[in-house]
Amino acid sequence: MITLLKETLSRQSIYMPTPARIAAMTPLTASETLFRVELPSGFHLHHRPGQFVELSVLGVGEAPISICSAPTRSNGSFELCVRAVGKLTNAVHKLPPGAKVGIRGPFGRSFPVERFYGRDILFVAGGLGLAPLRSLIDEVMDHRGMFDRVILLVGARTPRDLLFPDDLARWTARDDIEVHITVERPTEEWVSNVGVITTLFNKIDYQGRNMVATVVGPPVMYKFVLPDLLAHGLADSDIWMSFERQMKCGVGKCGHCQMHHIYTCQSGPIFSYQEVKNLQEAFA
Amino acid sequence: MSLRIMPKSALKAWIQRLQQRSFRIVGPKALHGRYVFADITDPDELAIDYPTTLSAPKQFLLPPREVLFSFNADTMDMTAHIEAEPTVLFGVHTCDMHAIQLLDTVQNNGFADQHYRARRDALYLVSIECLKPCSAQCFCKDMETYSITETYDVHLADMGDAYAVRVGSDKGEELLAGFTNIWEGADSDQQRLNEVMSQKWQNFEFRLDATLSQLPEVLGAAMHSAHWDELGDICLACGACTQVCPTCYCFDVTDEVDLTLTHGVRLRAWDSCQIEKFAVVAGNHNFRSQLGRRQRHRFMRKGKYQYEAYGKMGCVGCGRCGTTCPVAITCIKTFNHLTQESAERQAAVEVKA
Amino acid sequence: MTTRPRPKVAFFDFTSCEGCQLTVVDLLQDHPELLDAVEIVEFREAMSEKLPLDERYTIAFVEGSCTRASDEARLKSIRERADFLIALGACADLGGVNTIRNVMPLQEVREYVYGDKADWYETYPARPIKAVVKVDAAIPGCPIDRNEFAKAVTHLLQGRLPNLPDYPLCIECKALGTVCMYQRGQACLGPVTRAGCGAICPAVGYGCEGCRGFVPSPNLASMREVMREAGVGDEEIESRLRIFLTYQMMKLEGVTS
Repeated sequence: MITLLKETLSRQSIYMPTPARIAAMTPLTASETLFRVELPSGFHLHHRPGQFVELSVLGVGEAPISICSAPTRSNGSFELCVRAVGKLTNAVHKLPPGAKVGIRGPFGRSFPVERFYGRDILFVAGGLGLAPLRSLIDEVMDHRGMFDRVILLVGARTPRDLLFPDDLARWTARDDIEVHITVERPTEEWVSNVGVITTLFNKIDYQGRNMVATVVGPPVMYKFVLPDLLAHGLADSDIWMSFERQMKCGVGKCGHCQMHHIYTCQSGPIFSYQEVKNLQEAFA
Repeated sequence: MSLRIMPKSALKAWIQRLQQRSFRIVGPKALHGRYVFADITDPDELAIDYPTTLSAPKQFLLPPREVLFSFNADTMDMTAHIEAEPTVLFGVHTCDMHAIQLLDTVQNNGFADQHYRARRDALYLVSIECLKPCSAQCFCKDMETYSITETYDVHLADMGDAYAVRVGSDKGEELLAGFTNIWEGADSDQQRLNEVMSQKWQNFEFRLDATLSQLPEVLGAAMHSAHWDELGDICLACGACTQVCPTCYCFDVTDEVDLTLTHGVRLRAWDSCQIEKFAVVAGNHNFRSQLGRRQRHRFMRKGKYQYEAYGKMGCVGCGRCGTTCPVAITCIKTFNHLTQESAERQAAVEVKA
Repeated sequence: MTTRPRPKVAFFDFTSCEGCQLTVVDLLQDHPELLDAVEIVEFREAMSEKLPLDERYTIAFVEGSCTRASDEARLKSIRERADFLIALGACADLGGVNTIRNVMPLQEVREYVYGDKADWYETYPARPIKAVVKVDAAIPGCPIDRNEFAKAVTHLLQGRLPNLPDYPLCIECKALGTVCMYQRGQACLGPVTRAGCGAICPAVGYGCEGCRGFVPSPNLASMREVMREAGVGDEEIESRLRIFLTYQMMKLEGVTS
């Protein structure tokens, strides 16, 4: 098996993608679809949770998309959760199943999973943030014995915006992960929590635990979640986040994802709070 | 490294010889009373004593618009466009040589850019010693870029009727191979060069109030300065500053297809962090929506960020951005204003203490 | 090559010189493949056929601005029948030169143009078509750039809206190595004007007149100051900003016409 990164690097141009195939498309919400991408035979994505690929539709363009399937579940094909918001992401949604796309990567830094061994893990996922975290959650659940308590907090705008309902049901059904879900605007049928994601912190008891938190959500979410975590005694170096920036080239050249002296596509998108807390441009 | 001597009158013959050997020759030439780097077909066009050019020679390494690869969208066949033509770049000032050194570092860092590397390998650099400041905006003495880097292939120094020639690489030897109107310098030539060089230093002035090593710190302390918004108020967001900067390399990538939607190219073009949408992410959050923030980002890159990321200053003191800016935002004024602010803050702290 | 259904394309004109449509006709001379990609169903300048009234246009290109009340009904009926409505050129996109009159009393303008027949002719303050109907996208310029038009068609064929440059002309001038008009002692609206034309006016020695409209968030106070510094009088600055941009300027200044 050849890793995709090795293939990406061996191409004549670092910007030229490897052809791949859309093997399946599963609509998740009105604007988000789960794509299973199949690499040519003999290729393996070989990624780590938190990394991203550059997804191409030739003739339209390219965009960075985080990989949402766990390494343990990405043999030969892997999954991307794409929200139709831009030129490329809209075009991908219009592709027929079986269509050809281009893939470069995987790029970026991943969650340092081995540093979480033996500890509690708190996942905090806001909106589309559940996509990159799903890769990590399944990685943890597939190696469950390596970790202590596992808690997942999920927030969405409405019940209809909740991503991965099947996975949420799958995790909820297990007794070795605690799952709390909240929506900001409930529907009549909604019987669970209502409110922004920080309201879920009251549901869990984590003061004084040996815990790491992984937090992924829209830029504004961090401002509200971080104070809660810090107040509960989590160390700056035990809070991990995935940053959204315009990682256009993925290889530290185009400059769009630069945040201070850091190229998010190279040093991130996964950062600890300790690494970015003094960077003014990190959160706004 | 031994010194060689080439009579000035031989420069033309050397260029013609290189042209016969199928080198593309590029150098400074006059345009509308200013100077630009452009193709030299007639050696008489080469204005090697030029003050400075409007834009930097980076265009011969990173063209303003470049096809990365062509494709067939139906079959997914792709062909990389790695294009490089042996090109001799004449008359590069030392600040621009430092800039090319930074570009080399960035483009070869981590994932090396093959398009850049091919052009760089095919580019022969003939630099020239700057004996006096070249514009009202340049401050190369402060940025320590008014002497040569190790990057040159051939380096010339004007000694009146002749050039002192230093060869810095095999590529340099290749350029001079078989050219006979050049000879080994004598001790007396070395002495003459030493005199020229010793006179050179006093022609340049320090124009910044901070030293090179203080600059990153001055900028770091200026993160919340009100000056950024003052710059933002007058900035037109035209992006000219970044386009002419010898070390700005940011780009945008777009696809173009023919009307059958089958055949097309993916290309990149110079982009600018001064443009409103530069730091917008999916979902439309803009990390630098205010003009002042974008100016701050540019100056931070020049005097702090690039230094922290690559160990080399992003500003080489060429002054081009200040010359081109329609509203006269200049490096010298900005850096000095922030240095002044920094000193005032320091003084205030000392008074309190 | 996959065969794709050919979209039905129509061209319409309102008050304009028809130069943008001529550019399209011209483009067809050396890009006949455009006719393989689309089916042109109405184009007064090139053919007399019309699409049956019960059929829809996939793409309707509209040149010209609305200059009289009765234009609106026709424009609205085009809108109703079109999946995509695209403004073609400065008049449709910005109101363009037709809006210069908007700053003058309408009756004076009518009398100046039509003399004692002034009352025979219907007119109202000129406006871009987006002031009347929803416009999906615009191909700006006076006239349009033929390559940009072809590129826009490929985007529409892909089922997406044309992407316009959101940066100013200065980016293109620098890429081309054009010496700045201000460094040649001439005024230019390039710093606040949307690029995409290849900055052809400065390239041949003329300052930009803004025919492609403003970039998003133009800094006009600073632009005026730059022109003033270049020795351009206040009156000339304002007239320059009102060749193509009267409607935008009046909007920005909160004047309703």
